[in-house]
Amino acid sequence: MHPLAWLVWLGASAVATLAMRNPLYLLLLFAVIYVVTDVIRGAESGRGGATTASTDAVTEPMMLPVSPIRFALFAMGVGALINGLISHFGETELLRLPEVIPLLGGPITAEAVVYGAINGMVLATLFATFAVLNVAVPTRDLIGYLPRAFYPVAVVSAIAITFVPNTLYQLRQVREAQAIRGHRMRGLRDWLPLFLPVLIGGLERALQLAEAMTARGFAAKGAAAPAAHTADIARFASIGGLAAVLVGGVLRLVPGAGRWSPVLVVGGTLLVAWAIWRSGRQVNITRYRRARWTMGDGVMVVGALLALVPLFLWPATRDYSPYPRLLWPSFDTRVGLALLGFLAPALVLHLARPPAQGERQ
Amino acid sequence: MRSCSFVGSRLAVHHVRRSLRWFIYLLASLVGVVAFVYPFFPRIEADAGPVVQAMDSPLFLGLLGGLSLLALLLETQDGVEASGVSGETKRIALLGVLVGLNAVLSFVETAIPGPGGFSPIFFLIILGGYVYGGRFGYLLGALTLFVSALITGGVGPWLPYRMLIAGWIGLAAPLMARINRALRVQGTRWELVVLAVYGGVWGLAFGALMNLWFWPFATGPAEQHWQIGISVWEGVQRFLAFYVATSLLWDLARVAGTAAMMLLFGAPTLRTLRRFARRFYFEVRQCASSLSQGELSA
Repeated sequence: MHPLAWLVWLGASAVATLAMRNPLYLLLLFAVIYVVTDVIRGAESGRGGATTASTDAVTEPMMLPVSPIRFALFAMGVGALINGLISHFGETELLRLPEVIPLLGGPITAEAVVYGAINGMVLATLFATFAVLNVAVPTRDLIGYLPRAFYPVAVVSAIAITFVPNTLYQLRQVREAQAIRGHRMRGLRDWLPLFLPVLIGGLERALQLAEAMTARGFAAKGAAAPAAHTADIARFASIGGLAAVLVGGVLRLVPGAGRWSPVLVVGGTLLVAWAIWRSGRQVNITRYRRARWTMGDGVMVVGALLALVPLFLWPATRDYSPYPRLLWPSFDTRVGLALLGFLAPALVLHLARPPAQGERQ
Repeated sequence: MRSCSFVGSRLAVHHVRRSLRWFIYLLASLVGVVAFVYPFFPRIEADAGPVVQAMDSPLFLGLLGGLSLLALLLETQDGVEASGVSGETKRIALLGVLVGLNAVLSFVETAIPGPGGFSPIFFLIILGGYVYGGRFGYLLGALTLFVSALITGGVGPWLPYRMLIAGWIGLAAPLMARINRALRVQGTRWELVVLAVYGGVWGLAFGALMNLWFWPFATGPAEQHWQIGISVWEGVQRFLAFYVATSLLWDLARVAGTAAMMLLFGAPTLRTLRRFARRFYFEVRQCASSLSQGELSA
């Protein structure tokens, strides 16, 4: 699927997560995201065969180091513990710590524990959303879709990722060579004979790489070289934008002036975005093998955006607070049904099995 | 060698551009700092409109942090761009390789967890910024975390903040060169001690700032929060108590590890980086000398 479609899905899901505090919706969204992750994994392994044989770290999506469910349990536990211990509000007292303990002393309430667990759920849902991105979009595509203005950043990242397996290989070689010479790992100091040759070797290869890149005409500036003053225009725009955002952020804290701060923040953000766009126009690059936008991508984007609408149309049940007395959160069916829109990628991937694999090779 | 022809008015333009750069670093960093400390400040109008209230959400803080990161990236990468054709390619290659190497170090850290919050990546970020300049250091720091997140599947909402802090570490590293010059300890043992202290301070600050990022999540949005109306100082006290109780020991491992790496490996690494600086910056050195002559005559 198209990386940009995934980014829209990710953005919509993150906005939904951060906008709501109702544990029922959060739980629903978490389940939806988990289903999507599972379907992606199924699609990846189903495609298997040809691709699993390649060890190309750049084109293959990453497996996750931590399962989202395990992270959710951890985050909710920690959140409940922290808030339960620090906040002493709420009416349902579970137990009471002696008052002599600074900060922690006082009643431990069920409300504070639930509130902390909800905080943990928000974080866990956010984590699960980004886990989808890590699984679904290959690293190369993530770099390829950095804004044009950040072309040097993209090149550096691509070089770095290409050099990672290389460096690991070199580390192993150096370790073997040093072991033959009787090197043993006994303490921190023994890392130096491994680290230094790898560093020097890497720097040597950087020189060779630079020569090779120059020989192929990298960064050669033709007649259409941009004038330096265009960079200065972008610079002034960034300065203006950043200053506006800064003033806007501070004004929010000043009584009576808060009304102006959103205007300044939005205006400043747009100005910085313009500066980035403007710098990007000077970069002339051609990209090959771009992903095609398919019907499925459209469905996914529409589904994700539609899922947001009821959340903002009927916001009554969006927020939930356990204070002052713990009550069961209310559930709006319209909002709940709409959240299922985030399932769109799972549906598309499921229907598109056996998937269109040709485009990524 | 186009860039070697700085004379007269060109020199003035060069100076103006330099101060513009500094201004951007300062403003963008301030925006970033605001993103971190914003949760401490009490909202005065709790019943303001929905748009104003939206400014209390983590989304707004994310916007601030992201803007700061992007503005700094845009400005620092321009330094990699601007220095003559062959110099630019060399710096990009050098940066790419060092980022890759540092990402491997952080990869090793994920695979073999060290004690507590120890992380080997700060060592190279500091020395890279110290030897090759602040812009280089910023990119080295920010991109190391970017790339290591990409290869370990660690892309998440925390990533921009981690990139920003790591970038700051590299960006401010050349200030240590000034301190070392002022103390006249360059080339002695004490040079490394200064760098070790710098690394230790940042090791602690990295943990504290990332805790600060987590703080709004741990306490929830301000408008629903038990601590509404609490003063700034009380908020800071609560945070400090939380930090000392949950993270200080964890972070001290990072402080000790970074400082120890600096003292043990600093000297040979610094020598290596400087040796390669001469090989990498061959053309730029000539520019620099002609520039300083121009400065003298101006």
